[in-house]
Amino acid sequence: MSGEVLLEIRGLTARVGEKEILKGLDLTVRAGEVHAIMGPNGSGKSTLAGVLAGRDAFEVTGGSVRYDGQDLLALPPEARAARGVFLGFQYPVEIPGVGNLYFLRTALNALRRARGEEELDAMDFLSLAKEKMKLVELDPAFGSRSVNEGFSGGEKKRNEIFQMAVLEPRLAILDEIDSGLDIDALRVVSKGVNALRRADRAVLLVTHYQRLLDHITPDAVHVMAAGRIVRSGGRELAKELEQTGYAWAAEKPPLGLSPPQHLHGQRARP
Amino acid sequence: MSPTSVTPASESLAAAFAPPHGEPGWLAEARLAALGSFQAAGLPTTRLEDWRTTSLAPLSALTLFRPRPDAEGPDLKALLERAGRLDGPRLVFVNGRYRPDLTRLTGLPAGATLLALGDAIREVPDRVRPHLFRLAHPEAGALTAASAALFEDGAFLHLPGGAAVAPPIRIIHVGGAPGGVAAAFPRLLVVAGEGALCTVLEHYLGMDDQAYLVAPVAELVLGAGARVDHYRFQEDGAAAFHLASVHVEQAAGSHFLSHALSLGARLSRSEVHARMNGEDGECRLSGLSLADGHRLSGHLSVVEHAAPRCTTQETFKAILDGHARAVFSGRIRVLPGAQKTQAYQSSSNLLLSDDATVNTSPQLEIFADDVKCGHGGTVGRLDETSLFYLRSRGLDEAAARSLLIYAFAAELVEAVRPEPLRARARALVAARLPGGVRLLEAA
Repeated sequence: MSGEVLLEIRGLTARVGEKEILKGLDLTVRAGEVHAIMGPNGSGKSTLAGVLAGRDAFEVTGGSVRYDGQDLLALPPEARAARGVFLGFQYPVEIPGVGNLYFLRTALNALRRARGEEELDAMDFLSLAKEKMKLVELDPAFGSRSVNEGFSGGEKKRNEIFQMAVLEPRLAILDEIDSGLDIDALRVVSKGVNALRRADRAVLLVTHYQRLLDHITPDAVHVMAAGRIVRSGGRELAKELEQTGYAWAAEKPPLGLSPPQHLHGQRARP
Repeated sequence: MSPTSVTPASESLAAAFAPPHGEPGWLAEARLAALGSFQAAGLPTTRLEDWRTTSLAPLSALTLFRPRPDAEGPDLKALLERAGRLDGPRLVFVNGRYRPDLTRLTGLPAGATLLALGDAIREVPDRVRPHLFRLAHPEAGALTAASAALFEDGAFLHLPGGAAVAPPIRIIHVGGAPGGVAAAFPRLLVVAGEGALCTVLEHYLGMDDQAYLVAPVAELVLGAGARVDHYRFQEDGAAAFHLASVHVEQAAGSHFLSHALSLGARLSRSEVHARMNGEDGECRLSGLSLADGHRLSGHLSVVEHAAPRCTTQETFKAILDGHARAVFSGRIRVLPGAQKTQAYQSSSNLLLSDDATVNTSPQLEIFADDVKCGHGGTVGRLDETSLFYLRSRGLDEAAARSLLIYAFAAELVEAVRPEPLRARARALVAARLPGGVRLLEAA
């Protein structure tokens, strides 16, 4: 059972410099759903994630993105965050000199201010942070360290999930959150994502590998190639990809493959 | 020899030569000789290698005067409030003149001497005379000459062997006088005996709407195993000229820390000259420059390794906006025989505008063959990926920028070791950054 349409992407095209990366991408995500975006390197997965979060480096040249009934592309990144969009970075940024919890509290209170909610004081924030750190099994010592500075790859990813758990987004876009994780970290990160799942929220998992989907069961799986979604299916599609790889996707033109709206019977256009 | 250019500034300074009555003969003679050196040299010009990128032309054109002790001064109450209400010993000087009424010379261990320099010359001349002018020799440059000839007063700290002063000793200098460009030449002389330990903060503040010159000279003599942490918070007024030099001599196993926050003044130049005469010494030099508008802020250092197994660590940063300019010059000389020297210097610069510039020149002169020396430097802008990261979490662009700017400075703010001084440093730096005060509220 799925809820209202939360994210609707139509004919999205975008480029980096002179290079066209997204070449007409369509995707519909409803509240309550987890979608996995898979595909070979260079297919445009991370560009899609960056465009949705509002990264300047990507220039949108056409198409539309509606989020919760609004034109998402018209908003600066912080306004998207205030409306519940969260991007988990493939390469979380190190910010020496800025305390992890200090930063997170600044961010949370910025979101709360933008939503007209009261700011959280230091004590209330600390107890919230402690609870969420427990969820992602992050050592409390990481709270006072500088944001991501000197963190291992796995610790950085846990920290992203920790931030997500505190900020409680409605649409979480996780860009290769599984890359570089050992099995233990993968379990913890998955636990954090599963804990976020709720009927009014959605998750977009960008991943190269199917193993993440052993821990987080998606409602839909999409394969990207050359800037478009070339195939969509249920969770079994991920298993199939594990056998076949992505070579077929790179070789075949996207046209002629089953377009996403035909799958699942739940993507009728309005 | 090129003819000395007589400028209104140098002429007016020479004319202001008026040594206090009743000084001992050796000092009167030294002052006269120093006046001669200053008149012969004139203010430094960009023809001198060390001043190539720092023009004193705007200062040279001014007529300077030395306010009388009873002259009207800046709003002391407000400025001292800004310096912070901290316990512990404190000396206050206004335009270089000692203010015993605002001074507190308590909290020192037995045997330690903390006095105004003028009083020390009278009361303990045998402790002053061997060291005054020794490291900052009047012949060494025009400004040390001017200081020797013209100094009004200063602070004198003598610690016998093993003496430890726990609370930071604060020396507050207030500058500026209505109706003219005041000049002040305050001095600091610290003699730390074997194994002695102290922290000294010089805090410079002044009028914002009136140009003035403050040209402090500090001499610090560290005995074997002594540890001296010397902080300078320079938040002089926006029209001020601040030309400081610090001269240090380190005996074996001593630790010296010099840390300058150069936040104010139209033109700020901070020189540190250190010489490590004994083995196993440690010299840490750091400084942060914040400048905007057409301001210039420079940090220069010359460290001489004259003995084996000493280490030097230099960390300098600048954050520049508008048409501001930062100068970094770091010379490390490893003399013959100074084996196992370890020396590293870094200069990192953050440019917030297209028109800000940095002149940086690391210089290693090595005359020993078993040493580890290096330098590194960066000049860059705010990182776009970091900005996006912060904005994607909900911070608006201005907040994200100010957080990253503060983060760049944070290493040198947190390098202030005593907690009460560190809290002041945080507030002073944050107050000068866009949206900065809000940064601290959430902390």
